[in-house]
Amino acid sequence: MRKIWLVIKREYLTRVRSKGFILTTVGLPLFSIGVLGVSLGLATRRTDHILRISLLDNLGGLAPQITAGLEGKLPNGRPEYEIVRVWDRPPSEEQARQQLNEEIRAARLDGFLEVPKDILEGKPAAFHTRNPGDFQTTAALSHAVDNAVVERRLTDRGVHLDNVSKLVRGVGISMVKVTQTGESEEKGQTFIVGIAVVMVLYITLVVYGVATMRSVVEEKTTRIVEILASSVKPFHLLSGKILGVAAVGFTQYLVWGISGTLLTAYGASMAAAMVPGASLPNLHLPASLLAYAALFFLVSYLLYASMYAALGAMVSGDEELQQVQLPVTLMLVVSFILYPVIMRDPSSGTSVILSMIPFFAPVLMVLRIAIQTPPFWQIALSLLLSLLTTAGIVQVSAKIYRVGILMYGKRPSLAELLRWLRYT
Amino acid sequence: MDAIAVEHVSKRFDTVAAVSDLSLHIEQGAVFGLLGPNGAGKTTSLRMIMNILAPDEGAIQVLGQPASSRTQDLIGYLPEERGLYAKMKVREVLVFLAALKGLSEAEATLRVHEWLERLGLAAWSEKKMNDLSKGMQQKAQFIAAVIHRPPLLILDEPFTGLDPVNASLIKDIMLELREMGSTIILSTHRMEQVEMMCDAICLINHGRSVLAGDLRAIKKSYGKNTVRIEYTGDDNFLDLPDLVEKLNHFGAVVEAKLRPGADPQEILKAAVARGVRLTRFELVEPPLNDIFIEKVSEAHA
Repeated sequence: MRKIWLVIKREYLTRVRSKGFILTTVGLPLFSIGVLGVSLGLATRRTDHILRISLLDNLGGLAPQITAGLEGKLPNGRPEYEIVRVWDRPPSEEQARQQLNEEIRAARLDGFLEVPKDILEGKPAAFHTRNPGDFQTTAALSHAVDNAVVERRLTDRGVHLDNVSKLVRGVGISMVKVTQTGESEEKGQTFIVGIAVVMVLYITLVVYGVATMRSVVEEKTTRIVEILASSVKPFHLLSGKILGVAAVGFTQYLVWGISGTLLTAYGASMAAAMVPGASLPNLHLPASLLAYAALFFLVSYLLYASMYAALGAMVSGDEELQQVQLPVTLMLVVSFILYPVIMRDPSSGTSVILSMIPFFAPVLMVLRIAIQTPPFWQIALSLLLSLLTTAGIVQVSAKIYRVGILMYGKRPSLAELLRWLRYT
Repeated sequence: MDAIAVEHVSKRFDTVAAVSDLSLHIEQGAVFGLLGPNGAGKTTSLRMIMNILAPDEGAIQVLGQPASSRTQDLIGYLPEERGLYAKMKVREVLVFLAALKGLSEAEATLRVHEWLERLGLAAWSEKKMNDLSKGMQQKAQFIAAVIHRPPLLILDEPFTGLDPVNASLIKDIMLELREMGSTIILSTHRMEQVEMMCDAICLINHGRSVLAGDLRAIKKSYGKNTVRIEYTGDDNFLDLPDLVEKLNHFGAVVEAKLRPGADPQEILKAAVARGVRLTRFELVEPPLNDIFIEKVSEAHA
């Protein structure tokens, strides 16, 4: 046991102190803070900028309604749009257009909205600007023009109304998630939580599985494994390695979890301070989901890490790694790309069967738990199958590892691998 | 009690018999040479002694106990293929390896410091392993083998790649450990080293022991059948197929193996007759090198 502990400690300390680990672990939260800061900074910078717009109304009389529709306010409370000039039925459309274009080129104007004569028959209005990519302005203008046109059409038919935009606004529908214990309003958090959990599990299994494999190969290529094997039982060496890498992953998630929580709280308060009324979506992670995710992760990490370690023991150098790791990585990739099947119908027969397969269970069963908690017996069965498979695979992997670490040269064929399993 | 007792051990890999019915007895306190051509089964034998591999048949005892993970801590090992964690600090690697052999980390740290000092690596203690030259890495690896003062030390080609100063440093440490009672197994292809250092040898070929026992006794059994000659002049005088079975030229020195019953005096006569100036003429036991070659080629014949 003492020797396993020494192996864990070495594996953990050398990794945690490596530049790569520090960079990703500290760098990611810092990068997120940077992105948050920049985006908040940009949001506040927009307060200075009032869009200067002119209206060229060839129909006549539509400008007041459009102007009324452009009621957007900047975060500092000032109006978002300044109507510089309204040109109602100019003598020459062409001349007016040219003049306005000149003003845009001279930067006295951000843009002008041209309302065609036959707009009521369905011809679209045109917004002339240097920056047609500003989709927020486009959306606001489009909304204002639509409302003005609807209002005019109604007026022409003798319907007199004050605030048309309120009248024609759609309401949409909201989703309410029904669970065993009650119901909660759904604003996409199920989807986000589901995807987030799946992503984290998938990425973690691949990243730390491959890290375990590389560690095995490193000891093999440097030949230190011969000295290690003369001091430690191969099974202890393998166990220590897998647990050491797992501890590194745990540390990384702890750092990210804490900084993520702080960052969300900080970001929310910053956003609330700068943009009144704004709030981040409330992503509630139920404790039961986290517990199940941890449980499935633990079992499947042992499953995948031991397979990756066995693969590492089969090769003699880094070059061969890409090839041999493909089948194992592919199993994870497949479980990841199957998530839409679960998303669409988490309780269908296909979903139930897929989430029972031990190699897919860490991703797919946890996803099912996240979006629609399945019956307990299904969770238990899936976990049991995972445990049994893991126990078997770890045995096989350990045997391959024990023989493989001392073998150099040609990669073993399947028949040779089977013979390795029989070596004492 | 023997330091090592290997009894009728066999080990097969698939269809290849790496070791067949090998028996070895190594006395405590001896320097034992394990010899054999490439692929003879030396490394497999050593791995079984260290309990890295388990024999298919037979039994191995290390200092009176059956080979197991417990006897591993009694052995220090310098493998032929060198390598340590490239990106770890020299001190950290050595402390880790010493701790794996059962030392406490405090004790290991202390001893690592002493050994680095002794082998002239103190300044490199906090450097990464791959900043060290090959020779330095080899010294560091030697430290890993001896740091826990093992009663049994297994050294596979300990001198390759070392300059004469470092080689003699390592040799002195080996002799010192032997004085303190350690048994040393030396596996090497350098026969002159074996002749100078070993008390007993075992020559393995195709996984079988072909020659084993006390080195002096083995050499004596071959008798003084070789003439070592140093001379200046024409070497045609040695063209004596009736007397000389084999000639070994080493530049300044020639070793002539005599045919059974040949009189060395005849060679001397031939030299004088040809006017060759001799600076040395000595009747010796055959060099181990020749015995090695003879034994190994016998098996091939």
